[in-house]
Amino acid sequence: MDVSTQQPVQSAVLKPGRPKTLTGDPFFRGLVLSAGVGVLLILGAVIVVMVVGGMPAFGQFGPGFLISKVWNPVTQHFGAAAPVFGTIASSVLALLIAVPLSFGTAFWLTTLAPPAASSVIGMAVQLLAAVPSIIFGMWGFFVLVPLVAHYVQPAAKALFGHVPVVSVLISGPPFGTGLFTAAVILAIMIMPSITAVMRDVFASIPSVLRESAYGLGATRWEVMRRVVLPWSRQGVVGGIVLGMGRAMGETMAVTFVIGDSNHIGWSIFAPANTIASLIALEFPESPAGSLKLASLMALGAILMAISFVTLWCSRMLLARGQNSTGKRS
Amino acid sequence: MSEHGVNSTLSEGAKTATAPELALQVKNLDFYYGKTHALHNISLDFPLRSVTGMIGPSGCGKSTLLRVLNRMYDLYPGQKATGEVIFDGQNILAPGVDLNLLRSRIGMVFQKPTPFPMSIYDNIAFGIRLHERVSSSEMDGRVEDALRRVALWSEVKDRLKSNATAMSGGQQQRLCIARTIATHPEVILLDEPTSALDPVSTARIEELLDELKAEFTIIMVTHNMQQAARCADQVAFFYLGDLVEIDNTDRMFTTPRERRTQDYITGRFG
Repeated sequence: MDVSTQQPVQSAVLKPGRPKTLTGDPFFRGLVLSAGVGVLLILGAVIVVMVVGGMPAFGQFGPGFLISKVWNPVTQHFGAAAPVFGTIASSVLALLIAVPLSFGTAFWLTTLAPPAASSVIGMAVQLLAAVPSIIFGMWGFFVLVPLVAHYVQPAAKALFGHVPVVSVLISGPPFGTGLFTAAVILAIMIMPSITAVMRDVFASIPSVLRESAYGLGATRWEVMRRVVLPWSRQGVVGGIVLGMGRAMGETMAVTFVIGDSNHIGWSIFAPANTIASLIALEFPESPAGSLKLASLMALGAILMAISFVTLWCSRMLLARGQNSTGKRS
Repeated sequence: MSEHGVNSTLSEGAKTATAPELALQVKNLDFYYGKTHALHNISLDFPLRSVTGMIGPSGCGKSTLLRVLNRMYDLYPGQKATGEVIFDGQNILAPGVDLNLLRSRIGMVFQKPTPFPMSIYDNIAFGIRLHERVSSSEMDGRVEDALRRVALWSEVKDRLKSNATAMSGGQQQRLCIARTIATHPEVILLDEPTSALDPVSTARIEELLDELKAEFTIIMVTHNMQQAARCADQVAFFYLGDLVEIDNTDRMFTTPRERRTQDYITGRFG
């Protein structure tokens, strides 16, 4: 009733009234188009600068740049192997710490926690993600490094010093700075985003499916392991890879605690370098046009390539996870 | 079967415990969703190996009662039941009841089919593995038996390893019933089990219920009055959180005692 009486009035206002704007619309369209294209251009420019800037290093050392672990400004020999190793090793170690922590938190938040506690802890996890990385760097340097030097590594040596394989992993003098300390800091930094993704995918499972499993007499853990996890596997893996991407690119906090050493070894307590920390430390001392600067740019290009691949993988996994979730529901 | 219905009606007034014949007995049950009082002082009996249909308009509390009977409401904070539900001589609302064991003895099938994201075989084996340790040959037998009971075996025996989510809706619902009976429960709760299914699938499930009641006590919520008339031995009518009337099916649909029941079953509201 209402609609039919109002219709003529409305069309009388709209139809003859406003002429189609000739300037505003195309202008606005151009504005948003340039914003969109701008993103693409900036991304392209960054890639070009890194690759072109790194060309002299690639040209000088060839594919050997990737496998050489020498980094000697005096003899002008540079290789990417040590920082690439440090980047991957610290990220993988960080995941080993962060994934169980995130899984436990997400599991608790979605199935066990009382609603009030769930919202408080959920908020705290998100706040953790908002802490600037320099803060983690300082905290790591002043708190974590002495802790690892005085307690963690000595304790690990006392406990596992005689176990054949493990003793190699924890060998070396207790500097406090090194892969393990960096991994702990990274784990704390990436844990919020992994937790957030896991929490979302766990919560997205239809409640009737969960209830059916409970209805058969399954415990909360059995429901999680047998039903929720298989259902959300791809989303979980996507979240983990996303966290790994973040860990590999993280610079400031890692630079504080990794110990600045171009070294490849088995000990998780040994000082090392990541690509990001090496660039941060060496960039100010690299004159324009030098081979060292070119090598740092080349390292930057490698880091970007690694990050793109991980990000792409996580996107793929997350998208596939969502698709199959949609199909099932 | 109908004499059970008569018994329960008679015992309603007298409250003489005809204990051996009852699968479940609800006494003075009140239920709260937070501050909302959803069920008011409900008392009713579910005779052993019979089908009880629970009808009533949406929001009348019939599904809520179902979720009390296996304590599914326990998963959600803020939901609370008072009163007693006697199952096997024990009040299952009391603290300290082993919920996992309880739910294996009182199975549940939902409105929408809920196959787990795993193979057909594993869907059936899931519940069995939770409670028993069985050899793989015995498990094969249990799975086959459960699938035969729901007349699904011939349709899926060649693709037991394929994903259960690829089956049709009616097949999925029969799979869910098979999954429930595979753990050998004593009571099966069904929450509008055919409302998401086509008429042919619905008819097959109804036939199935008729066979299953020889062995199980079946409690079914339904919106479909014909279905209640076809399948149930006794029917309970709920309205706004009250149990208005419970009687054997014939009497309920021919000579209801309450005006509200009459109005509902003749379609005057709801």
